[in-house]
Amino acid sequence: MALKQISSNKCFGGLQKVFEHDSVELNCKMKFAIYLPPKAETGKCPALYWLSGLTCTEQNFISKSGYHQAASEHGLVVIAPDTSPRGCNIKGEDESWDFGTGAGFYVDATEHPWKTNYRMYSYVTEELPQLINANFPVDPQRMSIFGHSMGGHGALICALKNPGKYKAYDATHLVKSFPGSQLDILIDQGKDDQFLSDGQLLPDNFIAACAEKKTPVVFRLQEGYDHSYYFIATFITDHIRHHAKYLNA
Amino acid sequence: MTSAPRGAARGTSQRDLEEDADELVHLYGLEDDDELGDEFADETMPRIEVSEYPAAEQRDWRLSGEAAEAEDLGFGGWGSEGQCQDLREAYRYAHGRASEEYECYVIPEEEDEEEAPDVFCATCKLPLRALEKVLEEHKGHEVTPLSKALESAKDEIHKNMCRLEKQIIEMENFACHLEEVFITVEENFGRQEQNFESHYNEILETLAQKYEEKILALGEKKKEKLEALYGQLVSCGENLDTCKELMETVEEICHEEKVDFIKDAVAMADRLRKFLETKTDVELAAQPALEDQTLDFSDVEQLLGSINTIPAPSAPVINPQAPSSATGSSVRVCWSLFSDDTVESYQLSYRPVRDGSPGTDHTESTVTVKETYCSVANLEPNTQYEFRVTAQNRAGLSPASERAVYMTAPSPPVIKSKEVRSCEEAALIRWESGNLNPVDSYTVELTQAEAPGAAGVTESVVGVPTCEALVQLQPRQSYAIYVRALNVGGPSARSEPATVHTTGSYFRLDEQTCHPWLAISEDGLTAVRSERKAPTREPPPRSTRFSRCVAVMGNLIPVRGRHYWEVEVDERSDYTVGVASEDVPKQEDLGANRLSWCMRHTWAAPRHKYEFLHNKTTPDIRITVPPKKIGILLDYENSTLSFFNVDISQHLYTFSCQLPQFVHPCLSLEKPGRLKIHNGIPVPKHVALY
Repeated sequence: MALKQISSNKCFGGLQKVFEHDSVELNCKMKFAIYLPPKAETGKCPALYWLSGLTCTEQNFISKSGYHQAASEHGLVVIAPDTSPRGCNIKGEDESWDFGTGAGFYVDATEHPWKTNYRMYSYVTEELPQLINANFPVDPQRMSIFGHSMGGHGALICALKNPGKYKAYDATHLVKSFPGSQLDILIDQGKDDQFLSDGQLLPDNFIAACAEKKTPVVFRLQEGYDHSYYFIATFITDHIRHHAKYLNA
Repeated sequence: MTSAPRGAARGTSQRDLEEDADELVHLYGLEDDDELGDEFADETMPRIEVSEYPAAEQRDWRLSGEAAEAEDLGFGGWGSEGQCQDLREAYRYAHGRASEEYECYVIPEEEDEEEAPDVFCATCKLPLRALEKVLEEHKGHEVTPLSKALESAKDEIHKNMCRLEKQIIEMENFACHLEEVFITVEENFGRQEQNFESHYNEILETLAQKYEEKILALGEKKKEKLEALYGQLVSCGENLDTCKELMETVEEICHEEKVDFIKDAVAMADRLRKFLETKTDVELAAQPALEDQTLDFSDVEQLLGSINTIPAPSAPVINPQAPSSATGSSVRVCWSLFSDDTVESYQLSYRPVRDGSPGTDHTESTVTVKETYCSVANLEPNTQYEFRVTAQNRAGLSPASERAVYMTAPSPPVIKSKEVRSCEEAALIRWESGNLNPVDSYTVELTQAEAPGAAGVTESVVGVPTCEALVQLQPRQSYAIYVRALNVGGPSARSEPATVHTTGSYFRLDEQTCHPWLAISEDGLTAVRSERKAPTREPPPRSTRFSRCVAVMGNLIPVRGRHYWEVEVDERSDYTVGVASEDVPKQEDLGANRLSWCMRHTWAAPRHKYEFLHNKTTPDIRITVPPKKIGILLDYENSTLSFFNVDISQHLYTFSCQLPQFVHPCLSLEKPGRLKIHNGIPVPKHVALY
């Protein structure tokens, strides 16, 4: 599959690039961002997938989170895909901010007219990793996933639905029936996040399910922090280190 | 070619030699032999040539002349210039020196270059052309190639040079020695002369004295006698005068008238009678002969005798104690005699130096030895003894030397092995002095105990003033650490070793800090709070013990590195683990102040609550899997304190804490339960990331 490089910037000794390709799953052109640390010049590195939240593209994470330094130090390739298929011209896809464009929710749609294009789960768990493994110096055996907001949810479900695929992972039901091997989940939640106060986020349920299933989780409620990229930027280093612990082991 | 400059070193040594030789010659009035110096010079010179010989290509300044010659002649048939040079050298050796100095080379004969010799006849010791060999002269003689002959000739000369060099050195040494002997003889003579002179003078004086005395005595005697006799003479004269007078009176009377005659005659008869009755002493008052007087020369005899007798020796001088010459039970006492006296033996007396209380028994012991040193054993360690020594010979005892104080080395200290604390880079050792009285300092010795009995390098830390030391070590090794006590007498024997492993950090819980309801195990690693209630009598509140929370502190080595340890906990108990500084308020709970940081677990079935407390605040953290073993990483460099679930390698929480002072591990049990510490664990990989 042909990859077209859109941009490349040197950052903390590595390279932050953006590529475009024709996606089979999503039937459209898709962009993704990829950071290659200095270590990638001389050998294969583990791959860490970041899933962004609602309304984001591949740009938000790489511009605002300040993750490059930690990724460079730990020698991780970080891939940040877009949050949904673009330019598919499906009726109604731009009507609301939390449904359709920019709101793939990392699931495969089952109904028409969405099911042709909205297959973000398959894209993230199948097509994209294959593309990355074939074109970049990554170790296919060492892969990890994390995300924010809708992406956090995406990360949890991807990990829980694919036991053993992701080495370290950052959702409630899946946990309850998760049969698989060792998980170690780190969750940061801003206390001043309005989605939390609105009741849209239900961490307690997830925690309780994990406690019951003895799935190791450390959940940190961060005083004064909200939902924004400022919150992400504050704790991204801890999370990258959390993943590096397993990816570099 | 004239003499050219030699190498500087060689030149000076040769000149020194000549000077020394001259000195000796003049000093001892020996025959001048100028040849002596020159021969030395000649013999040493060729050495230079020998050593430079192998480098045939090398253009030596001395050879430059000949080399030019060789070039000029340019005899093609004979090959390289080097070869020509070799041949010329050969000439030199084979044909001998033409003058006193080897540099001046004179070719005795000019030979046709094209017929230069190439072999050497060993029998005739001549170089020949190969063709000549077949001549009658040399038939049957042993012939060797010229180069080989050159080599062996060179070798021989070289050997001889070496022998001559050695001889030079020997002679020089001997000359020095002779000088010394000369001086010693002078000194000895001087001493003997002085000694004899004084003795002799003493004798002369005594004799002169005796002479005077005798003469005086004789004079006295003569005077006495003469006086006595003179007295007698005087009385004789008087007697005679009286007789004469009486006679005259009697005659006068006889010529008187009858009446007057009768009167005077009677009176005269009386007078005469009386006079004649008195005895006249006609015995000699003094004998003419002077009695024999034997003089008493016994003291002179004694003096004469003592010229030949050996005097009693002079007092020896006792040396001060040589440093580090004593052991815990013996000292080595040395002394010297600064005179020529004959000594048969020495008597060394000693007794311990006490504080001067009069009642103590000053038992003095004495040892007799023949040498000027003595090792005195069976002494008390770390004690001062007073020594003095006298020398003895046939004539008697010398006066005693001054008193010197020697001290035995101390007893070895005893390391408090239960109080050893260590980490990857250092260990803190404490010990007991092992001596009643103070010592000067301590020495700590460490060896890496890689293989027992292997000769490892021993590192020493000297001059330790107190009974504790913090020593720097290498990580991931095993060490045996010893301590010695040191005083003026020397070091004690080694203490029993303490073994230290520099993997991870080692510490023990300190009973001094422990709340009365906690029991600490013998090894200092387990704390137990039993169901039993407190004893009825509360012990008095001491500042070192926790009084409010049932806690205890450990003693971590005060080194600002990374320390890691693990605490085994019971999922269902309420406990607190973390660190606190030494002066944390003991009447407060752990984590309730700025001097402590800890993780607290409270179990209210079925929920596990976790808090990370410092200054009474905690973040909001949920943990789904309760840890059974908590790993704690204290990192002074990054100023962090981190907690981990060891079994699943899960990071729980990290404090950022300013740690200007040292902190120690602490733990408490809010309900009955048990906490066990695991030590000496290297920092696990997953922990190292934090």
